[in-house]
Amino acid sequence: MSFKRLIAFLGAFGLAVLLAGHLASAGGPSGPDGSDGIVRGEGCTSILVGKLASTDGSVMTTHTCDCGTCDWTWRHVPAADHKPGSTRKIYHISQYKTWPPSEGLKWDVYKKDSAGLEIPEVAHTYAYHHGMFGYMNEKQVAIGESTIGCQRKLVNPTPAAKLDLTMLTLLGMERAATAREAIQVMGSLAEKYGYGFHDDGEMLAVADPNEAWILEICPAGPLWVPESGKPGAVWCAQRVPDDEVSVCPNESRIGEIDLANKDFFMASPNVVSLAVEMGFYDPQGGKPFNWKKAYSPVNGSAVSTNGRMQRLWRFFDIVAPSKKLKAETPNMDLPFSVKPDKRISVQDVMAMTRDRSYGTPFDPVLGIRGGPFKNPNYYRQTRVIDHGLAEYSTITQSRAGLPDPIGGLVWIAFGSQDTSCYMPLYAGMTEIPKSFMVGDHWTFSRDSVRWAFDYTDFHVQVAYSEAIKDVQAAQAKYEGELIARLPEIDLQAAALLKKKPAEAARFLTGFAINNATTVTNAWWKLGDDLLVKFNRLYLYNVERRGMVRGQPATPEWWKKATRVFDILMEPDKK
Amino acid sequence: MNKRAFWVLAAIAVLGAGWLIAGQALPKAGLPVLTTSAGQSTDVTTLNIVLDEAGIGYDYCDVPTVEMVSDGVGLGGRESGPGFHVESTTDVAKYAAGTPFKTVIFAIGASLKGMGASGLTLDSEEARLKKLIDHCKQKKIFVMAVHIGGESKRGPAGSDNERMIDAVAPYADYIVVTKDSNKDGRFTKIAGPKKIPLTEIEYALNLVDIIKQVLQ
Repeated sequence: MSFKRLIAFLGAFGLAVLLAGHLASAGGPSGPDGSDGIVRGEGCTSILVGKLASTDGSVMTTHTCDCGTCDWTWRHVPAADHKPGSTRKIYHISQYKTWPPSEGLKWDVYKKDSAGLEIPEVAHTYAYHHGMFGYMNEKQVAIGESTIGCQRKLVNPTPAAKLDLTMLTLLGMERAATAREAIQVMGSLAEKYGYGFHDDGEMLAVADPNEAWILEICPAGPLWVPESGKPGAVWCAQRVPDDEVSVCPNESRIGEIDLANKDFFMASPNVVSLAVEMGFYDPQGGKPFNWKKAYSPVNGSAVSTNGRMQRLWRFFDIVAPSKKLKAETPNMDLPFSVKPDKRISVQDVMAMTRDRSYGTPFDPVLGIRGGPFKNPNYYRQTRVIDHGLAEYSTITQSRAGLPDPIGGLVWIAFGSQDTSCYMPLYAGMTEIPKSFMVGDHWTFSRDSVRWAFDYTDFHVQVAYSEAIKDVQAAQAKYEGELIARLPEIDLQAAALLKKKPAEAARFLTGFAINNATTVTNAWWKLGDDLLVKFNRLYLYNVERRGMVRGQPATPEWWKKATRVFDILMEPDKK
Repeated sequence: MNKRAFWVLAAIAVLGAGWLIAGQALPKAGLPVLTTSAGQSTDVTTLNIVLDEAGIGYDYCDVPTVEMVSDGVGLGGRESGPGFHVESTTDVAKYAAGTPFKTVIFAIGASLKGMGASGLTLDSEEARLKKLIDHCKQKKIFVMAVHIGGESKRGPAGSDNERMIDAVAPYADYIVVTKDSNKDGRFTKIAGPKKIPLTEIEYALNLVDIIKQVLQ
């Protein structure tokens, strides 16, 4: 073996050892497959911002709906009055189930899956916008979500559990005027009618203009029956302090609880007793009851899982670097919430949802991981906040000081956050863009908003490090200019609302639909432009229409890396 | 029919029904028992919890092969790995490692997510189940099929769930289903012509007593 081949071999060997280390611990001590007795998800990230932690006093929640094959369509449900004695039908709504277009759209056909239950209807139900979950109602009650998983013994996929998570959030939207009410509505219905079926351990970020809460809920096990008189779910909620922020990256966040402090904790009556009954907590053990340790424990840290569980640490690292929280700290020991180093704007939150952990030890484009154009989508070992598989992401803003129809905003970005654009829907809108209501993963459609963003996303992948700059410029234009303009729109709507509420609703609806249409069209064009600009991996200067085609610069380190592998692959000379 | 005969017949009917409800007519199967899934839905977890509640130890594997079943209690010492789970709570003082299984219980329910996690497709899951059932028949291992997922975990003919039902239920020695799993009489139609004993239950909880009676 020549000297240069030896060097190349040693380099490659070192790389292989490093890679093996990553792979060996990929499953981690608590695998997502439930091998540790915990049924766990790895789909969504939810951020919460208290009103005194935000720059504009708004309370914010986020949700990245990143299943990868789920439905992405949205609906507006109008308010309604109901006669005494009327009932509300309950349906089993799977987060994951989709229907082929020939059978219809999810929100048109989900009623085929009746749970066989009708519950007493309330006199009035509020209007709201929903996608996979209910996100914002006309009272500014907002929701975000993250699956946390739970002890295997708690899972209840049997028909005795009538309520799935999606159904619960729709009921919360319909029946609650505050975050606390929403938690009580969802919690009490889950206790009475049983929670689970399609879902298990789940977290909801529940907010209103004053408060943000983390609600965590688990089924009560498959042997629960309504006739037992016991709650059919176990749940607990903790409020995020007003000047703090929190996050849920598919991990339970609530630790020790103080139910005497009613301004900060709520729970089902069986919160401790079920844990004792199931053997998850021993009151004689000398330790206080700890919700996450009992119902949804995880092992590992950002470091010990080689980045698979790094989102929790990374979030705190972004918002409060002064705390110097360590990536080696077990996630269960990281704080519930922190005070951010500076107040956070909605644009900061948008940036957080696009975070890829660049510059950290979990950087997905470190070394050769991302290829010559630093594409973060090649390296999936690190689970970053911006998930390339996202159906859509939401940021809700509940804004005190503004009337509810204007104060409530849900920003939606379809597809992967880094290549998408957030578009706001007001709580007071009476309809949503038609393009938000159609489409699926398996049929390309120019009528569906999601495909506009996927179209751009697809063309970014070719030369990511170059193409993403054009997308970021478009985001700065369409998000930045809109955010700057919103106060003026709010004022106009508020003036209209005082005189003619119906006109205010039409104004808000028209504004948001028009903006969504403008952005969607811009992204179709952006995709076209990227196709031309990076066509066949050349750089075409569209403005100058020159005869000479440039090539995106291939970095020196990439050329060296390819030389190392060339040497390694050389046949032995005989 | 005179009054006396009517009351005698009525009493027989009531007692007979009570006898059935009390489970006296349930078939008897033996221990040790292996639990598994037909379709990789989470219903198999429910089944295992039912056995826990009944106080009956079991071996569990989500994707057992014929070789593993042949290895008996302890499943040949195999350990869980990615997409493959084994568990054993069988009382090895009574049934030493390697003791042949006398019963295999299949929890029927298709989950594409679950099958994906195990690296299975519908076709390969069907093929695996066929081999397993053939082996059970050959070795006279009692096959029990349970469907406790309810109406929502059924589907039209040819759907994922229905294919799993077809792969197991017609070959079972005993079928237990929740009432809403059998709303359309699908399991009754399978069991009737083949004279397979069939029990309908309201909730998964009711399976606890049945398991106790069948396996003890």
